[in-house]
Amino acid sequence: MKFMKSIRTVTAVAALCLAATTVAQAQNYKIAFIARAQADSFAAWLANGIMDEVKKYPDMTVDVMDSQADDAKENAFIENAVANKYDLIIVQPNNGEAQRPYVEQAVKDGVKVITTNARIKNIPGSSSVDADPYEQAAVNARLALKQIPQGANVVVLNGPSGNMHADMRRDAWQKEFFDKRTDVKIVGEQIAHWNKEEAMRYMEDWVQANDKIDAIVSMNDNMAAGALEVVKDDPKFAKILAYGVDGTAEAMLLIQSGKMTSTALQNAYDLAAKNISVAHDLLTGKITQIDTDIDCPLVTKDNVATFIEIHKKSGAIK
Amino acid sequence: MNNLMTREKWQTIKSRYSIYLVLIAMIIVCNLLSPNFLSARNISNISVQISVTTILAFGETILIIGGLLDLSCGSVLALAGVFSVYVFKETGSLSLAFAVGLIVGLLCNFVNGILVRRFSIPAFIATLAMMTVARGIALLFTKGQNIYQIGDYVWFGQGSIGIIPIPVIFMVVIGVLTWYILGHTSFGRSLYAVGGNEEAARASGINIGRIKVGAYLINGIFVGLAGIILMARTNVGAPNSGQGYEFEALTAAIIGGTSFSGGLGTAGGTLAGAFIVGFLNNIMNLAGVDSYLQQVIKGAIIALAVGYDMWAKVNRTRKTLGAAKIPNERKEAKA
Repeated sequence: MKFMKSIRTVTAVAALCLAATTVAQAQNYKIAFIARAQADSFAAWLANGIMDEVKKYPDMTVDVMDSQADDAKENAFIENAVANKYDLIIVQPNNGEAQRPYVEQAVKDGVKVITTNARIKNIPGSSSVDADPYEQAAVNARLALKQIPQGANVVVLNGPSGNMHADMRRDAWQKEFFDKRTDVKIVGEQIAHWNKEEAMRYMEDWVQANDKIDAIVSMNDNMAAGALEVVKDDPKFAKILAYGVDGTAEAMLLIQSGKMTSTALQNAYDLAAKNISVAHDLLTGKITQIDTDIDCPLVTKDNVATFIEIHKKSGAIK
Repeated sequence: MNNLMTREKWQTIKSRYSIYLVLIAMIIVCNLLSPNFLSARNISNISVQISVTTILAFGETILIIGGLLDLSCGSVLALAGVFSVYVFKETGSLSLAFAVGLIVGLLCNFVNGILVRRFSIPAFIATLAMMTVARGIALLFTKGQNIYQIGDYVWFGQGSIGIIPIPVIFMVVIGVLTWYILGHTSFGRSLYAVGGNEEAARASGINIGRIKVGAYLINGIFVGLAGIILMARTNVGAPNSGQGYEFEALTAAIIGGTSFSGGLGTAGGTLAGAFIVGFLNNIMNLAGVDSYLQQVIKGAIIALAVGYDMWAKVNRTRKTLGAAKIPNERKEAKA
């Protein structure tokens, strides 16, 4: 009798432990966020946003891994995340095509995957959260159609070739602006690798070669800010128009002061919030697959005050 | 006889000053290609554009002459720059911010020097480690975000005294300092000796450790200053700035005739090397050369310039040796 009682007690304790472990496992989803490069300020902003956002979900934890803009490192992180049994991987690709086979393999191995900023298209079973790079540039280009004067000289600053966002933004400017405004002349176009200092160097040379530059068409805010830095005190370029993408704190301040014309906001907080909410829905079985975009509102002097608040929240603007 | 003298003089000038001849040739060609090239504003622009990498290149020149190297300068520049900007934003003091930038550069390079000297870690490895550590600290400190609204701090990179931009003044001061250290101090002479033959230098009583750590400390000040100028020039405290600058600095030093095997190099040569790269970038932009083609042309012209410099030097050495050898050989033949 006593022996049976002991067996019952042991069984009950074991069952309790098993149940507790199961519950604990079910309530502690492990997510790996594999960032493109923490040295990239947008990627860092996104990573910070994801870490902040996940605090709202007590059943999820996130580990951030830095691929340092290296395909081999990023691919290794994806493999390691699968081997270490993460429940879900968020991949911010350095180069979508280089990461594609590794993401496909992770999906085959049963791990849920979200690709973000930029999405890797057409991987059955994976989800994606992104901002549409074509639309980000297109909203600026449509505004420029009305603003850039007839017969204008413009300079174009591109992101790295092969980068999906860089290529699609340039494509949007071509289709939405340059193809429609054949009167506009591109007097300088270079790849400045998203980099402010490099953009400054190009602009310094272009203002030597051209007496008249009416507009700066830049694929991101950083390069637009660099080009503006060169002409900011030159009365010859006082009316220059400048278009960017991203909605960085610096661009917001330039728009507020009237030096920059517009940008399209790619809000890393929105992107982070949507990634984490999609991750939660995927892990709890609420959805099985989704491809979704965040909005990319056009920011001009008229509405910039609203968006400056976002950067005040992050501490970038005081 | 006179003709022979003139030819010999020309040969000497050609071999000793070949890099400057390349520079002059480049100025002539660039001027033909673009009427704007020799305008005061364009020359001023080029000088400002190359100022940061040239200051780094002066540091690399000192190190390479002493048989050392710094791969961390791009990252330390970013670290020194963001700390300096941060201090300015917190205190509003330009002098304090300037001092902090220099101190950060100095401290990082003191560690480089100690790693190389005390722990006998090869300079390549020690500075590679510092490159990662410094970049990591800069990113940690700023959480990967840029520091904006840096106010009067921009004076270091955008101000001018008269018509001369501040970065150019810094570049000239550092250039003169490097020239003075290398050519007119016992430290400079010891540095050449250590880089040329460390064992011989030790045997002659030179304190190798002091020279190596000293070279890193000088480099640290240069790197800290370059960080301050870069942040001020771009009007932002960017922790990801300066990536790849170590290679641009090394390129300028090597084009300028600094020998990777140590013991050879001059401040003037490095300045010429930096201007050659600066002129190349500038003329290709003025001429609207495609981005991809620019890389090909730049690589080819750098190879040509260095190739010509090396050829001129080797030719001179051969002729000197030949002239000394021939009479002896003749005597040996007669005997």
